[in-house]
Amino acid sequence: MSNLTAEQKQIQQTAREFVAKHIIPVAAKLDKSGEFHPFLVDEARKSKIFAMAVPKEFGGLDYSALAQALVLEEWGYGCAGMGTTLAASVLSMDSVLVAGTEEQKKRFFEPMVRGEIGSFGLTEPGAGSDAGSGKSTAVKVGDEYVLNGTKCWITNGGFASVYVIYALTDPSKGMKGLSAFIVEKGRPGFTIGTVDHKLGIRSSNTVELLFKDVHIPASNLLGKEGDGMKIAMKTLDMARPAIAALSVGLAQRALDECVKHLQKKYPDPKVQPGQTLQFKLADMRIEVEAARQLLHHTMDLRDAGVPFSVESALAKDFCADVAMKITAQAVQLMGTYGYTSEIAKLMRDAKIMQIYEGTNQIQRLVISRAVLTAAPAALAAAQKAGK
Amino acid sequence: MSTHLTEEQELIAKNARDFAEEYLDPIVAELDRTDVFPTDVVKKMAEQDFLGLFLPAEFGGAEAGYVSFVGVIENLSRSCAAVASIVVNHSLAAYAIQRWGTPAQKQDYLPALASAKTLGAFAVYENGPTPGVGPDALMAVKQPEGWLLNGTKAYVRNAGKADIYVVLACTEVAAGAKALTAFVVSGAAVGLTVGEPAETMGLKGCPVANLVFKNVMLAESAMLGVPNQGMVIAAETLSLGALAEAAQTVGIGQAAVEHAAAYSKTRVQFGRPISALQAIQTLLAETVTDCHMARLGVLHAAQLMEDGEPFQTEVAMVKQFLARLGSKMLLDTVQVEGGFGYSETMPLPRLFRDIAGTTLLDAPADFPEKTIAAALLA
Repeated sequence: MSNLTAEQKQIQQTAREFVAKHIIPVAAKLDKSGEFHPFLVDEARKSKIFAMAVPKEFGGLDYSALAQALVLEEWGYGCAGMGTTLAASVLSMDSVLVAGTEEQKKRFFEPMVRGEIGSFGLTEPGAGSDAGSGKSTAVKVGDEYVLNGTKCWITNGGFASVYVIYALTDPSKGMKGLSAFIVEKGRPGFTIGTVDHKLGIRSSNTVELLFKDVHIPASNLLGKEGDGMKIAMKTLDMARPAIAALSVGLAQRALDECVKHLQKKYPDPKVQPGQTLQFKLADMRIEVEAARQLLHHTMDLRDAGVPFSVESALAKDFCADVAMKITAQAVQLMGTYGYTSEIAKLMRDAKIMQIYEGTNQIQRLVISRAVLTAAPAALAAAQKAGK
Repeated sequence: MSTHLTEEQELIAKNARDFAEEYLDPIVAELDRTDVFPTDVVKKMAEQDFLGLFLPAEFGGAEAGYVSFVGVIENLSRSCAAVASIVVNHSLAAYAIQRWGTPAQKQDYLPALASAKTLGAFAVYENGPTPGVGPDALMAVKQPEGWLLNGTKAYVRNAGKADIYVVLACTEVAAGAKALTAFVVSGAAVGLTVGEPAETMGLKGCPVANLVFKNVMLAESAMLGVPNQGMVIAAETLSLGALAEAAQTVGIGQAAVEHAAAYSKTRVQFGRPISALQAIQTLLAETVTDCHMARLGVLHAAQLMEDGEPFQTEVAMVKQFLARLGSKMLLDTVQVEGGFGYSETMPLPRLFRDIAGTTLLDAPADFPEKTIAAALLA
């Protein structure tokens, strides 16, 4: 599986060229201004890349999970902020892929194919890691639902045309009363709250979404009432490797920048960095490669249609940790140059990888539960086989 | 050596903490945003003797020693590490003049440095792998009545604000580190210009820029120490610098862990404060342990310095420890605060950006390992 097919290589190459041409040249400027980049959306619109997860029958690129990860790796290499914009748009689509009817898919994917972007709203001020404790409600009135509540830290929130929003249809049931809805931009009562100024991924747009008596047709409900938590969890299983992919790209970029800097700093072949630094570079390469292979393996599982929920958590956790470690090391290896250049952005960007789409602590909850189930069974099987 | 602070050292540290709460806490967020040199605060710190803390009393210093110095730096950094960076770089120039200056140089410079009538800066770093090697290395050429300097010092802290710079220049082409000599240069010297301030990730308010020397003529009396002594001067002075930066790192880490601990008690998830979760407790426990160990290392090295013992290996060990674990203190405390911790409306992102600066070196990144191994294998 570690050999990419010709088609996958082509997708990777196209993404690499797109990133080199449209993302890398503006990344530092947008990081500084904290602006979202509509130009990027124009360019992306032409390439249909925001519809990479959309099936062919709806006019999308229909990329495999692995191909999507290859694209996101490149975007993470260029700018994890803009990569986050793409990843979050795909995330919103994943909910529709998980639970949408044909009609809903048609309706939701159509703007994506045109180059619009999507947004996914689950988190609330009081419901972060504890995603099931949200307070937003959707009350059925006739053939409509009326939405009320606040969502926070919503990526793409200020610029999306379509949203997937989670709200309680039955607050008395807690997270079992959670449901998922398609909400279109511009519905009366649906407004954008404060825009968050972040440590990193500053070119991505992170906002509050405010819902005050927002009427949406009942046909915008995804799945059944009460399916929300199930849909959200399946969506996040699919989406977490996207963060792993951005992380791999970030880590690779940090390594490449380190090498470039050291080669510039030590032009004389007789005066070269010692083994301490050389081996640090080797360690970085080992970790980037291990992270990439874990990611690709997870995507292979998903593409093969076998369960990948635990691997998804493993990949997100490990790749994010690797990105954080390597970007921080890169800044340190490059000294004040690293501290006063674009390299520092990589380190600021990397930190969110350990936080969003389920903190690495939440991933470890998933992983430790799986370990506690699997290990005794494996030992018992080994004992039995030995008898 | 004593592992307890004396009453005087406690008092000086406490005074610095009180000062920081009164004068630094209120301005730190704006300083971080505007990146404007805090002239008023520097004046106020001079009134507290923070700028001449270890200088002898005969030159107007507080003569309080290096343990007190690192105590003050840690306590200032708990509120604002950028302001501490200004003090540290100033103090390195003062240290070098105190240690290697002639009586005349001491009389000329130290009283003004102690009272912050003049601000100092220490400039070693260059764009080449080591000073004296790169294409724009600062070179000093002997003239009949002095020295002619040409070249660039890179990433100089306090650049543009300092009145005097202690710089290392190379006096022999291609001799590199062997022919480095220290000079005291006036900020007003003809031919000396300050480059564009670099945009740093953190420590905002402490300017960082290149110093460009174009036919800067220095009198013979500008030389600090003797010819070719530059590497010794740099190594010892930068060792004090590394010690002070370690103290800054400890201060930042302490501030972060206190903030994250307080936050964890108020953030309710899964029906209880996240401080009740063992995973969170472990992150906090590891951070506060790393911070404590680093502080002990800092105090130990400072005490050695105060006692006149060799201290460079011990400083290198602290630096090595913090190169591995310094930034981790902020990675883990931001993690405790999650999405809130990533928002620049909260204090941890500033501390994250600051600590990435205080764990850096003004030397190749393998310098601590080299120093420590050399001592072990000698």
